[in-house]
Formats: sequence, C-alpha cells, structure tokens
Amino acid sequence: MKNYEIFEHTADIGLRIKAKSLEELFKNAGLAIFDVSTKRQYVRNKTHTDIFIKLQAENLEELFVTWLNELLSLSSAKGLVFHNIKITKLVDFNLEATVTGSDIGNFQVHNEIKAATYHQLRVEKSPDGWVADVILDV
Amino acid sequence: MEIKLEKIDDYRWRIPKSYKPGMRVPGIIYADEKLLKDIYHDKALEQVANVAFLPGIVNASMAMPDIHWGYGFPIGGVAATDIEEGGVVSPGGVGFDINCGIRMVKTNLDYENIKDKLKDLVYALFNNVPSGVGSKGDIRVSAREEKEILIKGAKWAVAQGYGTQDDLDCTEENGAIQGADPDAVSERAYERGKAQSGTLGSGNHFLEIQVIDQLYDRDICDYLELRLGQVVVMIHSGSRGLGYQVCEEYSRNMVHCLQKYNINVPDRQLACAPVNSPEAQSYLGAMRCAANYAWANRQCLMHLTRLTFEKVLGGSWQGLGMNLIYDVAHNIAKIEKYNIKGKEKYFCVHRKGATRAFGPGNPAVTERYRKIGQPVIIPGDMGRNSYLLVGTKKAEEETFGSTCHGAGRLKSRTAAAKSIRLDVLLKDLESKGIIVKASGRDTIVEEAPQAYKDVNDVVDVVHNAGISKRVCRMRPVGVIKG
Repeated sequence: MKNYEIFEHTADIGLRIKAKSLEELFKNAGLAIFDVSTKRQYVRNKTHTDIFIKLQAENLEELFVTWLNELLSLSSAKGLVFHNIKITKLVDFNLEATVTGSDIGNFQVHNEIKAATYHQLRVEKSPDGWVADVILDV
Repeated sequence: MEIKLEKIDDYRWRIPKSYKPGMRVPGIIYADEKLLKDIYHDKALEQVANVAFLPGIVNASMAMPDIHWGYGFPIGGVAATDIEEGGVVSPGGVGFDINCGIRMVKTNLDYENIKDKLKDLVYALFNNVPSGVGSKGDIRVSAREEKEILIKGAKWAVAQGYGTQDDLDCTEENGAIQGADPDAVSERAYERGKAQSGTLGSGNHFLEIQVIDQLYDRDICDYLELRLGQVVVMIHSGSRGLGYQVCEEYSRNMVHCLQKYNINVPDRQLACAPVNSPEAQSYLGAMRCAANYAWANRQCLMHLTRLTFEKVLGGSWQGLGMNLIYDVAHNIAKIEKYNIKGKEKYFCVHRKGATRAFGPGNPAVTERYRKIGQPVIIPGDMGRNSYLLVGTKKAEEETFGSTCHGAGRLKSRTAAAKSIRLDVLLKDLESKGIIVKASGRDTIVEEAPQAYKDVNDVVDVVHNAGISKRVCRMRPVGVIKG
C-alpha cells in the first residue's frame, strides 16, 4: 500500500501522508510529490546525483512546506527527479538531508507541480505516528 | 456551514460582512443561478470571505463567474487594497504562475482554405514549440540577458528580432511593467528561469488554432478586421519556474510579516504585507520581473508560431496577416488609480485568475483600442469555445477594471482522470474536427471539456452584468498541450 493518498481539490492535488516517525513523514512526503507527478519510463541517463539539503524554519509546518518546495525547486533547476531521500537530521525545525535524483529525461512527467501551499496545511501526531495534509498547486 | 448568499440582481450575489467576524468588506460573486450551483460544490465561497479579511481591502472581495477553489485566494478572485490606508499586497493573491496570461493572434486565412493543412500545422507546432513539464527552449539566454529580460520583458524579445514594435503596442503594459527589481530575484529563481524562455509548460497551458464562429459586435469586429471563418491563434502560458520560485520565497517571507505587522488572516496562504513596507516593495519588484519574463515568453512563443505557419503554409507571417490582437495577464497585482467616493487614490489590485478590462477612453489602453475598450481574451476548454471581449467603463466603476479569465474548473484532476476515457474523448473531439497533440496522455484527460464549466455561461454573465462586452466567439480546431 502507498504511504500517501490523494484527496480531492478542484484545481490542485491534495496529499495525505502517513508515517511512523517524523523523519519518515518528511521522507514519504518528499517521495510522494514525485510519485504523483512522474513515471520512470526510459533509461537515457544512468547517472545519479546526490544533493545535500539544509533547511531551517520557525515551526514544523513551515519546515514541511519549505522542504517540499525545496525539492520541487531543485528538481526544476537541476532537471532531476528525486527517488531516494535520507533524512540525516531533524531537530528543532532544522533539517538536513541527502537526496538522490536521476535525470528528468528518464521519466514521463504528467503533472508539473508548481509548489506546495500553506492552504489547509496540517502536520500532526496521530495514534499511529504522524500525518500530514498538503495541497499542491498544479 | 453553507454560506447564505444575498441576491443583488440576476448576476450579482453578496456574502454579507456579518458572515464571518473579521471580514472588512462583503463578498460579491458574479454568477447566475446555473453557475452558482457549481460554485457551491467546493470551498471557493469560503475563500471569497477569507480574502475580505485583507487589511485595506476596498468595496468588496470579488469573484468572477469562473471562480473555483484555489489555495488562499479563490481562482477568479479580485481584491483591491487602499495603499494610503495600510492596504496590503499578498503573493497568494497573484499565485505561483505570475503573469499567467493569454494572447490572441489573428491571421488572414480562412479555415476552409487551410483545412487540409491543419494536421501538418498542429504537428509542426507541437515539434517547434517546446512544451511539457520542465521543457527547455531553443531560445537560450545568458545570465546577463536573463536580467535584461526581467526588466525589458517582451521588449527584449522584439530587440532580438522575435517580433515588432506593433506587438508591444498590443500587449498589456507594452510587454514590460515598470518597477521590476532584478536584485529582488533569488539565484535559484534565475536558475529555474534560464532554460525555459520560449517554453509553453504543461497543465492548462496551450497553443490553439481556432476559427471565428460567431460575431457579436460587428462594428468592433470590422475595426479589428475579424470575420466569420477566419483562423486565429491563442497562446496561454506564464512565467514558468521563475515565477513559481518568486511566489514561493515571498509567500514564506510574508507568513512572518503577519506577526510583524499584526495582520489577522484566516489562511496562511493569504500572507501579506502593507504595500509600503520593505517586504512588499521587494515582492512587487520581484513579481514584476516574473511578469516581464512571462511577457517575453509569450512573445517568443508567438515568434515560434509565426515561423511554423511560414514553414507549413509558405510566405511570410506578415503576408499571412499574423498580427497580435492583444496579450493580457490574468495572475498579477497592479498599482492602479481609481476614483472612489469622489477621491482619486492608488490601489493595489490583485487579479488572481481575472483579466484587466479597461473601458473606452482609458489612457492605459493603447491608442488604437482607446475607442473600443481594451481587448479581453477568454479561453475556454479544448472542446468548446473561446471569446474575444472588450472592457467597459462599468468594469472600471464596479470591479476595479476586472473580468473573468476562462471557463473555470469544475472537476478535480483526479475526478476527471477517473471518469473520462481518453479514447472516447479523442473520438469525440475528432468528430468535432478538433486535432489534439499533447506531451502527456494524462494532460488531455485532466483538461477535458467535462472538467470545466461551459465558458459560454461564464461569458454570458460578465456580458450581461456589463463588466465586459462580447465581440466574437471562436471554436478550436487544433490544440497543442504541454
């Protein structure tokens, strides 16, 4: 079963992400935005690129949205689709991660996600761990 | 809780200020009873009420008949704030795709005479105009040139030979809004914008070949040299990754401004700052850069379209009569002067999925259109119609010179993908004589006519409410989607 589900929004895409831990929540959400918008289809370029990301925010929700937007922004600027995420630090709204991407040319991309938004955003503890809702502008 | 609307007349409905404590003005929705049923489907009306919280908002939080649920602002929203009275600007009131907009190019071709070449044209346009997600254009620019684009907009493109002065005369703001500040744009935004000049993008962006199938105002049609059966082209695109980056960075920044300036809004995506604050000035400088980038982009896209027509049909684009009718922005914030209650003042007008619609005589309208009013271009979905309208004095008095921007979404992408079969859809479009070529199969289904409101209903409302006037209607015959 996927660790995210899509909820209806007229213009955009809503994602509900679940995880056992906060680190896993960030990882699952990061992978979900590429899963929902791309499909691996070709092997045109076998090179993988690792990028180190360091972010800081004033609260958890801001960190969550900033994280997703950083991934979308890096993906667009570098022409990469990220398929592996390693969260190395997540303390006091500081995040460090190494993300691995491969050339966007290897993928069929069916939705361009413009950004993650703050609209109806939720990052909360749940009985099973953590849950987040985020609406993506498509 | 369902919002109880007060009927003002057949085309105007009010959300009273009392609906929610904190609303500074009422909400006004332009719609008829038929469209209202669709509007009630999602949370757009709640968003109209939320926009009414913005400090300095004047008259009303307005929604055009193509309104639907956005994030923060509704799509189809108009809000003007009084700068002197602490009025704010909100990046969410412009959106991620800054200066997403549309241009309409005419030709002197009759559909009947080029029918046999239509398929060649559609396929050639698909090959020559870079489209699809993350598409990179053939028009490559250096870092220095990119800075120039952000200041000069479409003027940059024309200086490169991608068009003429005449094109600039027929573009909102002459293709370059003043006050762009390239230093307010981040390195990342530059990086995202660098490879995307002259690219269409994906989603609802498109290039369409259309045929005029109905004339409404014959005098204006004569003035614009438009006739039944004539072929026109519409190009819908925006500022691509550069605009998304600007909006994202400044939205985040303005969430912090809420506390700093003691602003209370019910949704963080409505984050904003007083227009005169350094944060807002910096955002406006960056937003204008993205707007100029978008105008340069659409100018480049039109250039590629002209070259393709030349190649497929022979002759020069001038000989084919491919002159620009007009180019309008529909995601932008502008500082405009209005006379409210007998006093002339400056306002920050947010148009989020709404088009400027200045009437006859307005000095901001290019001289050649001052007699008829500013052309307003309303694209519909790929199976029905699109419209050319003109702005009116009434729009200037009532909606801060604004009108609708399209058909407006009805079904979510996921709902469309679930309920619409691609093969049936393509057969249906083919039976109507419409050729579609898209980068992704999913895009066609998500953008299917059934996913949208009927643009004819939307345009009826703005025409009957008097905030714009119908000139002519088109139907699509060739569609290129990202």
